[in-house]
Amino acid sequence: MTRRGLIGIPLAVALLAALSLYRETIGFPLFYLGLLTTMLFWVTQATSWNILSGYSGYFSFGQAAYVGVGAYTTAVLFGRHGVNFYLTILVAAALCAVLGLAMGALAFRLRALRGEIFALLTLAVPFILAALARINPAIDGGQGIIVSIPEYPEGIGLFQDYLYLATLLVAGAAVFAAYAIRQSRFGWALSAIHDAEDVAEGLGVATFRYKLQALVASAVIGGVGGSIFALQIGFVAVDSVFQLTVPLFVIVMSVLGGRTHWIGPVIGVVFVVLVQDRLTASGLGRWQLIALGAILAALVVVAPDGIYARLKARPLLAAAVAVPITAVVWLVAQPLDGMLAGLLAATAIALWPARRRPPPSVDRGVVDTDRSPIRVDKSSSDGEEAVVECRGVTKYFGGVRALEGVDFTIREGEIVGLVGPNGSGKTTLVSLLAGSLRPTRGTIRIAGQDLAHLPAHRVAHAGVARTYQIPRPFASMTVRDNVAMAVMFGRSPLPLGTARREAQRPLDVVGLGALADAYPSALNLHQRQLLEMARALAADPKVLLLDEALAGLNPAEIDNAVQVVRRVHASGVSIVIVEHLLRVVKALATRIVVLDQGSCLADGDPTEVLADPAVVRAYLGRRAHARDS
Amino acid sequence: MSTIQAALSGILLGGLYALMAAGLSVTWGVLRVINLAHFGLMLVGAYLTFELASAWHINPLWTLVVTVPAMFVLGGALQLAFDALRISELNSLLLTFGLLIIIVQSVSNIWSADFQRMTAAVNPYATESVRLGRFVFPVPTLFAFAVAILIIGCAHLVLRRTFAGRALRAYAEDRAVAGAFGVDHRRVGVLLAATSGGSAAVAGMLFSLGSSLTPATAYEWFGTVFAVVILGGVGHLLGTLSAGLLVGLLSGVVSVVLSPATAPFVLFSLIVLALLLRPRGLFAARTAR
Amino acid sequence: MREKTGRVLVAVAAATLLLGFVVACEKKSEGGGGAPAASGAPIVVGSTLSLSGAFAATGAIHKIAGEAFVDRLNAEGGLLGRPVRWVVRDDESDQAKVSMLYEQLISQDKVDLIIGPYATPNILSAMAVAARHKYVLPQHTAVLAPLLTYECQFPGWSIGSTPNEFVPNQLLDAVASLSTPPKRIAIVTNQNGSTDFVSYGAGDNKVGAVSITRQRGLELVLEKRYPPNFSDWASLATQVRDARPDLLINNGLGVDPVNLLQAMAQLNYKPPMMFSLFPAPGPPLGLGPKADGLMSVSIFEPNKATLDRLGAKATAVVNDFKARATTAKLPYTVFETQAAASWNAWEILVAGVKGAGKIDHQAICDSLHSNGADTTFSGHLAFDASKHNFWPPTQTIKQIQNGDWVTVWPKDRAAGELRGPAA
Repeated sequence: MTRRGLIGIPLAVALLAALSLYRETIGFPLFYLGLLTTMLFWVTQATSWNILSGYSGYFSFGQAAYVGVGAYTTAVLFGRHGVNFYLTILVAAALCAVLGLAMGALAFRLRALRGEIFALLTLAVPFILAALARINPAIDGGQGIIVSIPEYPEGIGLFQDYLYLATLLVAGAAVFAAYAIRQSRFGWALSAIHDAEDVAEGLGVATFRYKLQALVASAVIGGVGGSIFALQIGFVAVDSVFQLTVPLFVIVMSVLGGRTHWIGPVIGVVFVVLVQDRLTASGLGRWQLIALGAILAALVVVAPDGIYARLKARPLLAAAVAVPITAVVWLVAQPLDGMLAGLLAATAIALWPARRRPPPSVDRGVVDTDRSPIRVDKSSSDGEEAVVECRGVTKYFGGVRALEGVDFTIREGEIVGLVGPNGSGKTTLVSLLAGSLRPTRGTIRIAGQDLAHLPAHRVAHAGVARTYQIPRPFASMTVRDNVAMAVMFGRSPLPLGTARREAQRPLDVVGLGALADAYPSALNLHQRQLLEMARALAADPKVLLLDEALAGLNPAEIDNAVQVVRRVHASGVSIVIVEHLLRVVKALATRIVVLDQGSCLADGDPTEVLADPAVVRAYLGRRAHARDS
Repeated sequence: MSTIQAALSGILLGGLYALMAAGLSVTWGVLRVINLAHFGLMLVGAYLTFELASAWHINPLWTLVVTVPAMFVLGGALQLAFDALRISELNSLLLTFGLLIIIVQSVSNIWSADFQRMTAAVNPYATESVRLGRFVFPVPTLFAFAVAILIIGCAHLVLRRTFAGRALRAYAEDRAVAGAFGVDHRRVGVLLAATSGGSAAVAGMLFSLGSSLTPATAYEWFGTVFAVVILGGVGHLLGTLSAGLLVGLLSGVVSVVLSPATAPFVLFSLIVLALLLRPRGLFAARTAR
Repeated sequence: MREKTGRVLVAVAAATLLLGFVVACEKKSEGGGGAPAASGAPIVVGSTLSLSGAFAATGAIHKIAGEAFVDRLNAEGGLLGRPVRWVVRDDESDQAKVSMLYEQLISQDKVDLIIGPYATPNILSAMAVAARHKYVLPQHTAVLAPLLTYECQFPGWSIGSTPNEFVPNQLLDAVASLSTPPKRIAIVTNQNGSTDFVSYGAGDNKVGAVSITRQRGLELVLEKRYPPNFSDWASLATQVRDARPDLLINNGLGVDPVNLLQAMAQLNYKPPMMFSLFPAPGPPLGLGPKADGLMSVSIFEPNKATLDRLGAKATAVVNDFKARATTAKLPYTVFETQAAASWNAWEILVAGVKGAGKIDHQAICDSLHSNGADTTFSGHLAFDASKHNFWPPTQTIKQIQNGDWVTVWPKDRAAGELRGPAA
């Protein structure tokens, strides 16, 4: 990961600051400063939005709430009551943090929070705050508040210089925060949440905490931006800050620019503000919004990932075209026209449909079956200790009974085959063991630790890892990083660099070492399932839950997978394998548990259990019957 | 007395909210398109009613003969485009926001940003009402109420009882399964979106019967209409109807008992509560969608 | 494949569109001035107006009035012998944009003079910029006197420095002159800044329609506030009906009174008398007889009696405006309060420049303070900086009579008789 931002962002801020500090020396027109101030306000807001919504994928429509709370705090305290301006910024940040905490604590506690529900929740918040401000005219005196100019150091120059520098500082800090988050564990956690949230939780990522932190960071940045915005508009009333246009524009800008990278919103802001400004200046006012709407619609269709992602693909060509166009138009017309023309040209180049490159070819034969297990866990000598203990586990979904009084023990060193007809409760049991569901009644203990009150990521730390029936890799990360995530967020957290090195071992165990730098989209089904196993293994589990990890594979792949499972087992991990293919179960399991209609039907030696007439009737008979119909 | 009258008027007005929300809710729930352009279609429907009725001096109800087919075609065409371009749920929101901006500004360029309303000569319904004992039922919202029940009821039956309707609902739940019905879900989807467009024309006409129009009206609908969609449960027609009536009733009663200024606060707090306690909508208690 | 072709097409369309803008931007229009009748380099006046967004309806009126004024001024020989050119930008009813555009006009386009935008929040934002650059700012419509603190801000519409006292008192004085003065008063208020101000005052000054009603010993039978974008008029109408007021004071905006009147009509109810503060003038007339008798405030109505008193120039201005408004397809084409306020602001600007004899903002500001300005529709205006330049109000009460707005109060400026409740 490059550290360009570490130097680049302070450098850019310094350069931009110089425009104001040496404005008269270099003859920089005051108006451009105003335009830049507007851009920087939106940079702050779009970046604030992006930290939560871009990185983690939870779209928010509540940006106006932060702008409003920030602006109102400053307007009421500084504008009406004469409190020190800088103090009001801190108060605004604190109030927004509380607002963010409250929103997050309410929303993210929901078990079945879908993205759209979150979006709508956030949509309602500014409406509520605006209504609150209206119900209590004591807040703003009923008419709105004039915000005068605060005292500032004399050397700065005019008020516009001061406003610009303040906005620049906030925007710079916001972008730097977005950059720093992107580079840190926090950012990786948010990416994992974006790609597959419950998988991340299952690997030990404390998703609730990270989402809450992202929301609070977003709220604080938005609020501080709103605080400065109060100075910019000079008059604060309900309608001027709690507007629906704030979230809409923020979303438009971030999405146009590209929302997975920290610089995406910046590009989007520059693009939108420049287009708007040039259209206004050219007297095409009637057509301005129509043009903006058309640009938005067209870009959503052509480049749903944003301009930045496309620019990155051909930066040289874009620059080669943009620079001369900028120069020519700059000379002929105005500098701003030149910049817009350059930007548009670069965008056009970036958006020109790429010839679809074939996906990077992957050698099908890379799965290396000859590699021997890396190490054997030290504690495997005493093979009688119970790793998992279920007592009377019962699970209802609404009125539907999924499991009823299941008792179930896994001892160290076992491979337990969990079988049963469809709907017998196998996957429910796996989800209960992994902590992503909670039992209605009964207790589950992992290595003696009761799961009842542990969130799923702590269950992972207690030593349970699982794979999913349909592989769910983190699509935005390489194979190595997918595995490194599990190391990074495991029982003993590690930094990314170490985690990447550590990731090599599980990749070698499953035989994906050679594909470490590919993206999941380049893997076939078998390889994805191996990736699931490698990821689970990387968490250093005591027990590994394999939920139909072999479904959909051809016979050769199955044989390979069986080998991999054996190697994993040999490394000292107890395994629960849910599988329909009895051939596989027989070959692997040291014990078989049969579930039927939510109850435990049989439990014992594989050969004996599979010969039990009750099992044959309940399980095989029904399967055979089902196949006939 | 005031409270009961306000509650009655509120429920009738709620019919209009429900009708406005129904099209949005059903395309969102079934087709996974969050169609903000729906607000634009309603706006254009309302302005067309105004224009046709004022220019030709015809009964505003008759303008539906023109506006419903027009919006039907427009709604269907939009869905065709979304389908062809494979727009995701999220991107549909952004794309249609772009379209809405275009529509609102075009309306402003054509009809000016000033208030437009049908004169009393053209639109006799604006100030008419039906009296029942001590209570009064304003005609424009009475129409809206009746039409909402009629349209939403029919649509509900079609979605529940017909083969195409069931295929669509299956499609909403699982796109892979839908193929098994042997129905071209695309074609049925376009039909659904077109019908939703037609309903927008009706909603626009009903709105113009009782209100002045400005282009910004489209944005003013956002809050209430989304509230109804959410409370009713996305994709649930009967839920939408009930939620519309509930929202109307509630804001009417709160206005009288507390103050009109409090109504939005109560309404949106209720939405937050509803989302937290009943994320699938107030009236979708047991049935998964 | 089809998908790919689609994307190529869209990309081509997008690229064309984008390049189109560049071309359009480069062909930057040189502003919309008329043919100069006077000689020399034009004097450029800059401003923004809300040509789109929430304030666009009234923004359009100010645009037409301003264009008419500038054309007339140039035809009469311009200003200081030079032609005048007006550059007007669209602020999209967005306060943040107003500051930026005024900054652009003053520091980049270096306009000689500026004039205010429309709607109070926008004017306040523009005033901040004008104050920074020490530009004189005549403005059409901001009446929140306590907030307009810049000494070179000159209002084109004045309700005095305390509109919250002036308006309710004028109204209650007017209705007190009737043979059966109203005793039961209902007040419903839009929570917009300027309307709320007239009902409840601002800051520490809590005087307003509500307190004045009580103070005059009248019975306040209903008092409600409703938010902007309010839609549930039926419930409010029910409350008004059940409160049985003699006079309903609706300190509202835009189409509020129309919505309220209509909702009351649906209840088969019409209050004996009704007043509305800042309605859009056209829509109530569309209600027909249901709105007859509605009162409001006005600084000018083109009633025949009034025009006869003001003379031929006023009549010509009114007719010219009507023709232009009709061409622009405005739904209501009458030259009234908004347009007159606009005209006043322009005349204040011109009077200031003529008084100073040069484009020097301090001199213009001083000249206006010492000499005042003569206006076509509001007579001579004198500006007192201690009252934020809000001149003694010439505001009147108007009333809908037989489908037209008629000035009815005070008697010396009335064109018709105030009518009491219909029998």
